[in-house]
Amino acid sequence: MMDFWIILTAVLVASACSILGCFLILRRMALVGDAISHAVLPGIAIAFLMSGTRDSMWMLLGATAFGLLTVFLIQTLQTSGLQSDASIGIVFTALFAVGVLLISLNAQHIDLDLDCVLFGEIAYVPWDTWTLGGTEMGPRAVWMLGITLTVILLLVGLFYKQFKICAFDPAMAAACGIPVLLFHYLLMGLVSMTAVSSFESVGAILVVGMLIIPAATAYLLTNRLGVMIGLSVAVGIVSAVGGYLVSYLLDASIAGCIVSMAGILFILTLIFSPSHGLIVKFARKRETAGVL
Amino acid sequence: MHTDKKRTRIRLRLPALLLMALLAGCSGSGNAQGTSEDGRVLVTATTGMIGDAAREIGGDHVEVTTLMGPGVDPHLFKASQGDIRKLDRAKIVFYGGLHLEGNMERILEKMAQQKTVVAVTERMPKDRLLGSEGSEEFDPHVWFDVNLWQTAAESVRDTLIAEDPANEAAYREQGERYLRELEELDAYVRERMLEIPDQGRVLVTAHDAFGYFGQAYGVEVVGLQGISTAAEIGARDVSALRDYLVERGIQAVFVESSLPARSMEAIVAGAAQQGHEVVIGGELFSDAMGEPGTQEGTYLGMIRHNADTIAEALK
Repeated sequence: MMDFWIILTAVLVASACSILGCFLILRRMALVGDAISHAVLPGIAIAFLMSGTRDSMWMLLGATAFGLLTVFLIQTLQTSGLQSDASIGIVFTALFAVGVLLISLNAQHIDLDLDCVLFGEIAYVPWDTWTLGGTEMGPRAVWMLGITLTVILLLVGLFYKQFKICAFDPAMAAACGIPVLLFHYLLMGLVSMTAVSSFESVGAILVVGMLIIPAATAYLLTNRLGVMIGLSVAVGIVSAVGGYLVSYLLDASIAGCIVSMAGILFILTLIFSPSHGLIVKFARKRETAGVL
Repeated sequence: MHTDKKRTRIRLRLPALLLMALLAGCSGSGNAQGTSEDGRVLVTATTGMIGDAAREIGGDHVEVTTLMGPGVDPHLFKASQGDIRKLDRAKIVFYGGLHLEGNMERILEKMAQQKTVVAVTERMPKDRLLGSEGSEEFDPHVWFDVNLWQTAAESVRDTLIAEDPANEAAYREQGERYLRELEELDAYVRERMLEIPDQGRVLVTAHDAFGYFGQAYGVEVVGLQGISTAAEIGARDVSALRDYLVERGIQAVFVESSLPARSMEAIVAGAAQQGHEVVIGGELFSDAMGEPGTQEGTYLGMIRHNADTIAEALK
């Protein structure tokens, strides 16, 4: 049962992140997950200062608030004309710095770092169960991530067309009468919610990796968004399952193995992809040279 | 779009089912929960210090595994796949508590609903714990006060007796012996610290792990970093500590086995520029013990090593 819950959790994180990752990559905002993982530090510090405890409910609350603030600021800066990489960089370094400052001023003698108080570890998921009225309902993480994934599937499913046009061509979307800004904020809100709830259950590296690598892999294989999302989820799930098996064989960190697996799949795709692969490109170049 | 969603869902389900079947094979081969093949009680401890106590007191009746090996900083510990099995198989899990294990503690508390999970600091009198003002949080590095650590050993002994009453006599006898050894160690450390002249009895290290050591043995402890090993070190921390060294004429500072030595070396260099010679007095074990098989690979050896290193460098 232990293995089953861990794999299910990994699959849920992988699916949720791979879907959102596709839109992030198209909008050139793939690093927003990494940004959130740092920018929630002041949220943690403020939650601690207000509550006086490191209770996980408070930490999650602070992190959620600052996760949303982070994506809101990033989106606002970007809308006002700044490049997306610059807006991400500015917001997360500034917020992280505020967090470090708050901790060094107020809580120097308390162990208050993200690794300790917010980021979870996927290995512990099976024990962190949720009990409702005396009945054990299974791991809390599975519920939290399951709900997150459902919300993502619902929203992305309902507004697929709008999300798609906004990602590819915001100007055209605006011309069609789609409230572009609203959908930008909605997507970023989803990313923030997913990131924070996954950080709490499985740790940062898995989430950041899964937001970028599967989507980037799928990007090399197709030009159609629907197919890209499907492939991205497939890559995410294969990495989750395969990575877990590798971690079993090597007795190593589970999150580390899963993300490495995704990295390996990406490299294989980069070399062998029939449309964007290095081999195909090399062959094409030689062909053109031959013609000349 | 609808086909996409359906495809996604099928992809979600199929591998999960396949995997369930596959892993049923992997994990089905374990022993009955809680005891080893030859009938010994399986005990899992988080840190080496706790595992050592369980090994000494449990003797041949227990099989002890520890999660955090030599040189591992418990605040930054990352579980591997095998650690799940170590925790899952154990009949008894011992941990430090007081937030030593960070986020893992929440899991250990939950695990207590399924098996015996004991924080060895649970029974320590609150007034002997060091805390920060205005909060419920305590410094978890209690093992440096050997006298206080005896209560941890007692917790281990009593838990073993409760879980395995058949071997009560053995646990009592081995517990008695171990507690006596701890008492001797306590006296030994006290003695060694008295060899250092009052003026120079200052322990300068990279992070504040030695608060209990200072309190118990009358040593002033100055740390460069806060309690957390992840907190950033401020520029003022470095220069303030350097000035302090020069002013008090302190001869030696110490590095720790589970932390990089760089910042301490910077301070030594800084003091040298001001014409005051400070040496690195040696490496202390703080959050983890030494390699198994060596003297420092046990709790007694580790504390003895620290006391000797400090006494030799400062006297």
